Amino acid sequence: MTAPSWPGNLPNGKGTFENGVHEALLGDPSKLTHPIKDVADKYELLPAFLKVRGLVKQHIDSFNYFINQEIKKIVRAKGNEKVTCDTDPNFYFKYTDIFVGQPQVEEDYITRGITPQACRLRDMTYAAPISVDVEYTRGKEIVVRKGKNGVGAVVIGRMPLMLRSDRCVLKGKSEAQLAKLGECPLDPGGYFVVKGAEKVILIQEQLSKNRIIIDVDSKGQVTASVTSSTHERKSKTNIVLGRKGQLCLRHNAFTEDVNMAAVLRAMGVESDQEILALVGSEPALATLLAPTLQEAKSMGLFIRQQALEYLGSRIKAGKQQYSSRRSRSKVDEARDILANVVVCHIPVLQYDFHQKVIYMAVMMRRMLAAMIDPTLIDDRDYYGNKRLELAGGLLALLFEDLFKRMNNELKRTADNTLSKANRAGQFDAAKNLHVEMISQGMESAISSGNWTIRRFRMERKGVTQVLSRLSFIAALGMMTRITSQFEKTRKVSGPRALQPSQWGMLCPADTPEGESCGLVKNLALMTHVTTDEEEAPLARLAYLLGTQPASLVSGFEHSSRGVAMVFLNGSILGIHRRPKRLVKEFRRLRRAGRVGEFVSIFLQQDSVYIASDGGRVCRPLIICDRGVPRVTSAHTAKLKRGEWGFSDFLRNGLVEYLDVNEENNALIALYERNCGVATTHLEIEPFTVLGVVAGLIPYPHHNQSPRNTYQCAMGKQAMGNIAYNQLNVMDTLLYLLVYPQRPLLTTKTIELVGFDKLGAGQNATVAVMSYSGYDIEDAIIMNRSSLDRGFGRCIVLRKYGTVLKKHQNRLQDTVVAAPLPAGQSKPTGRHKLLDEDGIAAPGEVASPGEILINKQVPMSTKDPMPHCMTTLPPSAYKPAPVSWKGPPGESCIVDKVLLTNNDDGHIVIKTLMRHTRRPEVGDKFSSRHGQKGVVGSIVAQEDMPFSERGICPDLIMNPHGFPSRMTVGKMLELIGSKAAVSCGRFHYGTAFGEGSGLADNVDSISKTLVEHGFSYSGKDQLTSGSSGEPLEALIFMGPVYYQKLKHMVLDKMHARARGPRVVLTRQPTEGRSRDGGLRLGEMERDCLIGYGASMLLLERLMISSDQFQVHVCNHCGLLGYFDANLGCAVCPSLKSSDQMATLKLPYACKLLFQELQSMNIVPRLKLAEA
Amino acid sequence: MTTLGENRRVPQVQIRVLRDDYCEFVLSDTDPSVANALRRIMLVEVPTIAIDLVEIEENTTVLNDEFIAHRLGLIPLVSNAVYNMKGVFEDAGEEDFMDVEMSLNVKCTSEDTMDVTSNDLTLDVKHPEVHPVGYKQGDFDALKRPILLVKMRKNQELRLRAVARKGIGKDHAKWIPVATVSFQYMPEISINRALMDTLTEQEKEDWVDATPSKGVFRYNNITKQVEVDNAELYQYDGEALAKSEELGKPGLVTIKERQDIFIFRVESTGVLKAEDVVLTALEVLMRKLRNLQEALPQQDVGAT
Repeated sequence: MTAPSWPGNLPNGKGTFENGVHEALLGDPSKLTHPIKDVADKYELLPAFLKVRGLVKQHIDSFNYFINQEIKKIVRAKGNEKVTCDTDPNFYFKYTDIFVGQPQVEEDYITRGITPQACRLRDMTYAAPISVDVEYTRGKEIVVRKGKNGVGAVVIGRMPLMLRSDRCVLKGKSEAQLAKLGECPLDPGGYFVVKGAEKVILIQEQLSKNRIIIDVDSKGQVTASVTSSTHERKSKTNIVLGRKGQLCLRHNAFTEDVNMAAVLRAMGVESDQEILALVGSEPALATLLAPTLQEAKSMGLFIRQQALEYLGSRIKAGKQQYSSRRSRSKVDEARDILANVVVCHIPVLQYDFHQKVIYMAVMMRRMLAAMIDPTLIDDRDYYGNKRLELAGGLLALLFEDLFKRMNNELKRTADNTLSKANRAGQFDAAKNLHVEMISQGMESAISSGNWTIRRFRMERKGVTQVLSRLSFIAALGMMTRITSQFEKTRKVSGPRALQPSQWGMLCPADTPEGESCGLVKNLALMTHVTTDEEEAPLARLAYLLGTQPASLVSGFEHSSRGVAMVFLNGSILGIHRRPKRLVKEFRRLRRAGRVGEFVSIFLQQDSVYIASDGGRVCRPLIICDRGVPRVTSAHTAKLKRGEWGFSDFLRNGLVEYLDVNEENNALIALYERNCGVATTHLEIEPFTVLGVVAGLIPYPHHNQSPRNTYQCAMGKQAMGNIAYNQLNVMDTLLYLLVYPQRPLLTTKTIELVGFDKLGAGQNATVAVMSYSGYDIEDAIIMNRSSLDRGFGRCIVLRKYGTVLKKHQNRLQDTVVAAPLPAGQSKPTGRHKLLDEDGIAAPGEVASPGEILINKQVPMSTKDPMPHCMTTLPPSAYKPAPVSWKGPPGESCIVDKVLLTNNDDGHIVIKTLMRHTRRPEVGDKFSSRHGQKGVVGSIVAQEDMPFSERGICPDLIMNPHGFPSRMTVGKMLELIGSKAAVSCGRFHYGTAFGEGSGLADNVDSISKTLVEHGFSYSGKDQLTSGSSGEPLEALIFMGPVYYQKLKHMVLDKMHARARGPRVVLTRQPTEGRSRDGGLRLGEMERDCLIGYGASMLLLERLMISSDQFQVHVCNHCGLLGYFDANLGCAVCPSLKSSDQMATLKLPYACKLLFQELQSMNIVPRLKLAEA
Repeated sequence: MTTLGENRRVPQVQIRVLRDDYCEFVLSDTDPSVANALRRIMLVEVPTIAIDLVEIEENTTVLNDEFIAHRLGLIPLVSNAVYNMKGVFEDAGEEDFMDVEMSLNVKCTSEDTMDVTSNDLTLDVKHPEVHPVGYKQGDFDALKRPILLVKMRKNQELRLRAVARKGIGKDHAKWIPVATVSFQYMPEISINRALMDTLTEQEKEDWVDATPSKGVFRYNNITKQVEVDNAELYQYDGEALAKSEELGKPGLVTIKERQDIFIFRVESTGVLKAEDVVLTALEVLMRKLRNLQEALPQQDVGAT
């Protein structure tokens, strides 16, 4: 048997395949039928992968790419590199290089390094200076300024830095070093600290740019569209079907749809035959193309000039701006538009339209083909057609815009200064840069989330969000979140549905419910998002591998059979006669590390697509040769010994990244036993289809799927530990659990993300039974003694802060000591908490309304201060204290006080208030299976049922929660945890893990239970605690990990009898925060009307609300007033009090009358005796 | 007023195991209500001593004041002195013994992490007998290891005064004297011999194996009979009954809970000896009954 050429030797010529593969290929053919052995500890690849990647590599990679490469590309771009001046032709200002430095801040003219923790506490921005090397003219001399050591000579602004990016101080630090910097080692980074707030730039999903998409429009017609995007321009080009079946170009630049044949003709393809050859000469295609050619003929468009005139007459007014000179013929304009605007991502150099002609022909060809065969229509929701835009890309857009604006500003100042004949000094451009422009633009965009890119007329809101620090998982979940640009209001199911192509890339469970369901998604555990990669070497490689450049072959060859078009990132490279070979060779080079690991190549129909653009989602897979996995136990052993890392697997061609499109060329086996001869890849671990948040659920594959989705939403509301540095932060609101635990039933994901170190819940012994009736509708019964012992106890920390401003007139806000009442040594009343410095003392117990910071603000902040006075008298200030607004009857403790100053030099005072709460009736709890419930009753331990061993549940859950929800996973968790406590080993419930030993199965759990004297079913015989009689049924009892959710009655309960009213309408205020009334709404009102309780209606709607007594003139029907001098009511128009009547009506009604009067409408009341 | 008749039962107690921290006894000739009353009293009405008030002077540890106070409260204190003490809600004179004052004064001076444990508590000089369970009895015995309160780093300090008081488990779980207290009904198992004999040997063996709690039934190889070995081990799992159904012979065995024999198991936390818990509980029960008895005749008079 001779060695087959494929997969043959590795390109390095050494042929270092492992024995297994070698044997399978070259050994005894009979062995081929043997079952493939499982790769022991294949799972170990996952921790290795996460070790190199971290959980938020996509963000960090994208940002690193931006600050290291893309920013330089932006500065080198044609329009940005050089600033010239209209008035002085000799002037120029040229950027030669740009650098983003290390994080630092300038305070009191001293530049110092800063840490993220300092920025959080001090409300500053974690940013680094952007510096440039420049070359410019100053007077007659040319100044060249160059910095060194990776720092430029001139600072042009500050760039907010992403945590853990290349420039961040946290990069590559050990746990001890991180601790020294006040940072949690489990914190993933990937966010920004702007003005003290942690901001995440969410991943944005959009349709991929520069790709032809064949779609069906609203009329059911096939269209082809391309969204072209280059640095300078964005444009959308459509080819649609005209009324007569002709192909038309639809573009913004033209007033109407224009004939495609005319377009091609205008680009220099004059003969019909040539057009036919380009698009396709097969009879079916030719027939469909005929109407187009016919129309062109009927319009008399035969030569290029005619076609250009035709197009020129249809250019949209106002689009002339594309040409620089105004006096241009329409023909020239049309040519310009075709060259630079239509499908602008295909470059046209010196009006050589060849590339663009081929591209448009391919668009037409694919469109016509789709009309014949509807299966060729693309799916917009297919994930291979999507690109994810990350922080780096979004910041690059913003930066380029700001950079351009800054340069325009520089140009304007240069124009102005240089035009003046006699200037005082020489104009130094480097000193006239608007440094604030970039700094402020970046800072405000990130802190507000409004992305305004002027040149693309882009206006996006909500791009950034504050990092949710409710729990560790909430923060982590936010970093993997993807939002879609799709409008939420549209009632379409397509973009919301779970697409099969999302398999392994996006988490199928983690999406919110409600309006944004399916539009907000989350990355799966092993997903990576690519960044841009250089195209030129890839193109060169494709040519070397036998691609014929498109410009060298004729139109007929493009469309002949067996020949494939080769695309690189959406542009045509050329054609290849043996596409399969090209793909194979390309992949081999990639596996050998000669091509970037994230470059994808795939064959679809008769085209080869090479993609190296950023924003594609991809994931690693084990490569198989004819069904034999390249990774063997020998490799995983090396991994376990620590000799190999994940990158070694990549380097040795054992594992590779596949993006969504390339997955279509692969046959991926889930397990080794599924491997067949045609199998090309093997999954690393099936549970990686789930994301971080869904990974916390034990046995999710046994649950009804929406339950997992519910848990994904709830896991983010669970209290627990936030980070190792949780006690050193000053967040507005922080919920912590007093005794968080690690779940008895864990999953591999839990261990990988560190949830076992920062748990958010407790293992409660749950009895599934009915008790007392206070457990209906998912309510749970709690054991009072468990609460005494600390179950569900939580700490709520809330920040109350203020800034001492410096005002225009050089006055400053102050904090003063509280006034001492006579004969007392300490302040009393509302000032009770205050120290001598006017700030509450840590450890003091506060009750509602007490002052925390005794701040004073100057009365006048504008008028200049009188000269003679150095200090102002106390009367010049008015009090502006910060006080604690807590629930009445509760007390709270001053935990910490922080005094510092921020970026602007203002003093910042923050006080942290601490409140420890034990669970009460109405607090919300949830297990990890979407089973939430409120505490219905708290029962003393002696009344709780107990087993003969003396075990007594912490929590009783009603069995009605199970049948309709079908959360079998929760039952498995219960018996699994029970086995875990009995035998002292944490059990596992990893998704789909029973087969691979990553989850304990029911059999072994039952065995453990029986070994330790429990029933195999997890049921126990219980005795009633109140009567002492045995319960008739056996009770399913064991530990379940319960989460305390942030919704607590204390923050929500509200009732009022009397209280504040709104000034305008005199009706009760609205909302709990304003101590508002409880509204008797329309529907309640309707009930009362229906019932006929008129007096109750009157009371509710008027007497208890805004009853008002008015005086009405019986004669003219207008509202009168009460004259205190006369002691009677007076009519305003008659000026008499003769016919005045008094009546009661809602104040809002009186207000309406008066408002109507104010707009010259007279409402008159006609009164009758009652 | 009715008097108990001639055939009134006199409850019997038979002690099986008696250790300082564990007591197992059989209570017989009484009703479940009495047994349960005893259990409930042992759980929540036997007075013990626990730290109830904490005044913190200095706390620079990582745990906040409430946190430490809560932990202090849960430390089990040896409560033999509780009988001489008066609780907060009891009628007490000036000289009555109500408070035990302890203090804690620790500062970490070393570079290493330091453990603050129950051993660091300074006892009340007047009442040295009130001390945490396992107080300074050696760190090596795992059972007597002191209770960890908080861990400290260099220069952290904890200074506080704690007052321990008498209380009962009804007020707070920290006063509960037992880790577990429970009772079990004695099962009464009777095998239908006639029906059992219709089974084959294999079926008999299978039937015995069906019960997960081993040792309840035994297949005697010599007599070829199924015997009840130790009925007490039976867990009411119903498997034997299910197996009988499966074999098509329902009624092979009848299992009942005897309503007059209770096996009690009391496991103390160490604050009181297990036997003291039981005895005190009986005393409390008696006192309650006496109170009731004293109140009843007046009611009778009122009713008639």
